[in-house]
Amino acid sequence: MTYEAKLGGFADHIAQGGKVEAEDWMPDDYRRGVLKFIEMHANSEIMGALPERECLPMAPTLRRKMSLAAKIQDEVGHAQLLYRVAEDLGKSRDAMYQDLVNGRSKFHNVFHYPVFHWGDVAIIGWLIDGAALVTQAALLDSSYAPYTRVLKRICSEEQLHLRHGEHITMELASGTQAQRDMFQDALNRWWLPIIHFFGPKSNVAKDLLLRWKVKTRTNEDLRQEFLDRYVPKVLELGFSFPTPVPTRAESGQWLIKDEDIDWDPLDAIKRNEGPETERRLTTRRDIYQGHRWVREVLAEPAVHAA
Amino acid sequence: MDVYEVFRRSGHKDPFEHCGSVIASDSEMALLMAKECFLRRREGQHLWVARRTDIHSFKDESLLEIAADKSYRFPEAYRDVVAKREKARARAREVGAAAGESNR
Repeated sequence: MTYEAKLGGFADHIAQGGKVEAEDWMPDDYRRGVLKFIEMHANSEIMGALPERECLPMAPTLRRKMSLAAKIQDEVGHAQLLYRVAEDLGKSRDAMYQDLVNGRSKFHNVFHYPVFHWGDVAIIGWLIDGAALVTQAALLDSSYAPYTRVLKRICSEEQLHLRHGEHITMELASGTQAQRDMFQDALNRWWLPIIHFFGPKSNVAKDLLLRWKVKTRTNEDLRQEFLDRYVPKVLELGFSFPTPVPTRAESGQWLIKDEDIDWDPLDAIKRNEGPETERRLTTRRDIYQGHRWVREVLAEPAVHAA
Repeated sequence: MDVYEVFRRSGHKDPFEHCGSVIASDSEMALLMAKECFLRRREGQHLWVARRTDIHSFKDESLLEIAADKSYRFPEAYRDVVAKREKARARAREVGAAAGESNR
């Protein structure tokens, strides 16, 4: 069969809602695109562990500390699952790690920002995990089947994280003025990065991942779902939004004007020039070096004493 | 290091199901990795790991197609049992009437 014939068959299969397994034939740009996408997701999970790790010493009680530590372990676990799926597409874990710690691959914008206090944990756990869950749930029907199988597990754990984040948010929101101020301060800093998280408007004609149904919905569609779901929840707690302020349309939707969004910080992050990019990558690189002996021990088959 | 496929059984009523894979140097380490990745919240009661290269499957998936018409293996093939039952009842009435006549 010629390449063109295979490509045509593949395109038909996808158009009819067909799924793809790792061992199936796939066009090179599909393989590359899916690999890059899953690798970026894996990178984000493992880099996302770092800001929350920095928050561990800020935990107000031992129980909060333990639950946050468990959540961080889940995030690292998600990275393990995702790297494993990505590896089967032809890039080794070591190569992915090298690219990550040397700044050659990407991770989500929200993990390029600093954390200051326990209010950040509330925002990360509730609104950032809420945003992530909207985007990940939309991927459950992705054309790349091995990805959807791990996403099923990831989404169920993210549901728990969302509950965890909401729990912390409600505690701050129902607490003293100082506690409420912590949440508002964190919201003021995180709101723009959260809006950036969904990315700029999708270019449907050019976006290969949309065409191959690896992604099933546009960036703006996902952002809208997030706004409609979370803006009323934040407002009913008596907090306010900084720019870009969402306004209620007659349709009942919560809208943000494109001209209100300053994209410069996101562009800087894409160049690896975010506020915390260098420090976080250095931390990840140091951990990678420091744990080399662990990887070497694990790579040796066990030698049992006779 | 080898890829190990991981199978998990959630209780005694369900079979082991594939749940993912890990990379490990031996089966003991693979089990430990699998437990950390797939059993953090009592999602199951037991785990198997098997080296991916020890698992055999059809290279050509078209061999999995059922070659000929074997519709008689499926319940849909017997849907007309309703019509047949009606026919059988009618027939019973017919022969019953005849039997009744000869008994008299």
